[in-house]
Amino acid sequence: MNFYITYILISVLLFSFAAIFALFSVYAERKVAGFIQDRLGPMENGKWGTMQTLADALKLLQKEQITPTAADKILFALAPIIIFISVYMGFAALPWAPGVIPAALNIGVVYIFAIISIEAIGILMAGWGSNNKYSLLGALRSVAQVISYEIPAGIAIISAVMIAQSLDMHAIASRQGVGTPETIWFMGFWDVTNIGGIFSWHIFQAPHLIVAYVIYFIASLAECNRAPFDIPEAESELVAGFHTEYTGMRFGFIFLGEYAMMFLVGMVGVVLFLGGWNTPLPNIGSLRLADWTTGMGWGIFWTFSKVLLVVLVQMWIRWTLPRVRVDHLMSFCWKILTPLAFLCMAISGVWRLLVM
Amino acid sequence: MNIEQVVFYILAATVLSSAFMVVFNRNMVRSIFLFFVTLFAMSGLFIYALADFVAVTQLIVYVGGMLVLMIFAFLLSSKTILNTSATHKTSLIGLHHLPGMLISLLFFLILFVTIHQANPEEIGWVRNAGNNTLVASDNTIHAIGINLMTRYLIPFEIISVLLMMALIGAAHLARRTKKQ
Repeated sequence: MNFYITYILISVLLFSFAAIFALFSVYAERKVAGFIQDRLGPMENGKWGTMQTLADALKLLQKEQITPTAADKILFALAPIIIFISVYMGFAALPWAPGVIPAALNIGVVYIFAIISIEAIGILMAGWGSNNKYSLLGALRSVAQVISYEIPAGIAIISAVMIAQSLDMHAIASRQGVGTPETIWFMGFWDVTNIGGIFSWHIFQAPHLIVAYVIYFIASLAECNRAPFDIPEAESELVAGFHTEYTGMRFGFIFLGEYAMMFLVGMVGVVLFLGGWNTPLPNIGSLRLADWTTGMGWGIFWTFSKVLLVVLVQMWIRWTLPRVRVDHLMSFCWKILTPLAFLCMAISGVWRLLVM
Repeated sequence: MNIEQVVFYILAATVLSSAFMVVFNRNMVRSIFLFFVTLFAMSGLFIYALADFVAVTQLIVYVGGMLVLMIFAFLLSSKTILNTSATHKTSLIGLHHLPGMLISLLFFLILFVTIHQANPEEIGWVRNAGNNTLVASDNTIHAIGINLMTRYLIPFEIISVLLMMALIGAAHLARRTKKQ
């Protein structure tokens, strides 16, 4: 019976993590937006406005849940839950530190990729259920974009998986630092098996993976529906896209899903390309920096700080770049990202066979 | 009954009941979304058969691809056409049901005869199946990869050629026609 309690505890832990992360990242997003636009951001609630998102959450909890008269009641009510749960289930297969992974699946990468694709169903449900032109258009745009960008993202992921020779997230992470089960080479010529650090990350094991990571990062922005790919919720055209009609905690769940998704895609990128829980500090002679900074606590620390850095870049891009037009978005995906991703995959195969 | 069996029966009941509701639901959008429930529960049943890769592929291909395509086709088609099909009156027995009934009866007959004639104890791979079992922690993708590249290479290649043809055809159809 004991391990059932552990299962429930871990899932509650992951849920509360997603909620708390959303709370903090909304605050961070506002502050980043403020600083980028040369203003202060929220300042009224608490010191430097730190209580602002807590007040917002309280407001959302108290709000009335309005359902439009003409809406499809069941679909309308279920959509936010499906959107959030699809993202939340993805957290199950993410490795945090050596040996710390909620579900060590043999096919973790494919699992996360599959679970994320369920979000599209939730978005379509929300768009159709609201019975509103703006919502429907927003949902159609969103899903068209998510499905198109899944292809370059998937192929970029495959090119990293081909280098790692595993679909297990934990095994992939452990092959990018000290304590790797096989010899690893920096750029294919320098044996860094015992040196570790930043040199043994995937993007430095095989340099074309830097391109693959950039492709993955751009595609993941589109999958999160974040600027510059936020045409599904373009305020100037579609009010708020697929979540126009949502109020109260239902809107809260969509929002929670969006921020949890940012963390999820960031973490998948970190595990596949940026070394996962491995330290950036290498061993230098008798200065065993990599050995000293590897372990459970350190692993969680490195994962967390890397992912937060990626999320910060996502926010930075959101407040820097203007929104991309629909046709530009599609031609960018199909004519530039997809061929480049295919090229990366081909190079990965050659690299694995000839260099590693 | 242990908890695995309970979950299995819940999944099986979900598959069957949602599949029935897909067929009998008058509201077409809801039946498409119910089909999602069917497929999702089906992938759970695949996990019980220790086919985790098939379960995940089911999610990617059917939920992420097919179902979204079906919903797209639905959302982009005219509402009036859908309404006429929804109000179309049907009785259980009628002349327009004859072909459907004939096909289902014949199919049932074929299944019945095949199952009746098959002798499962005599088939080789069924007899050897006892020595050829999987454990839940086994890594099935290695076996899948090796089999795809050795034993099932020709079917694999034929399918890839077929998919390539579909891709080229789709690209050709989506092409902008040249102005005369």
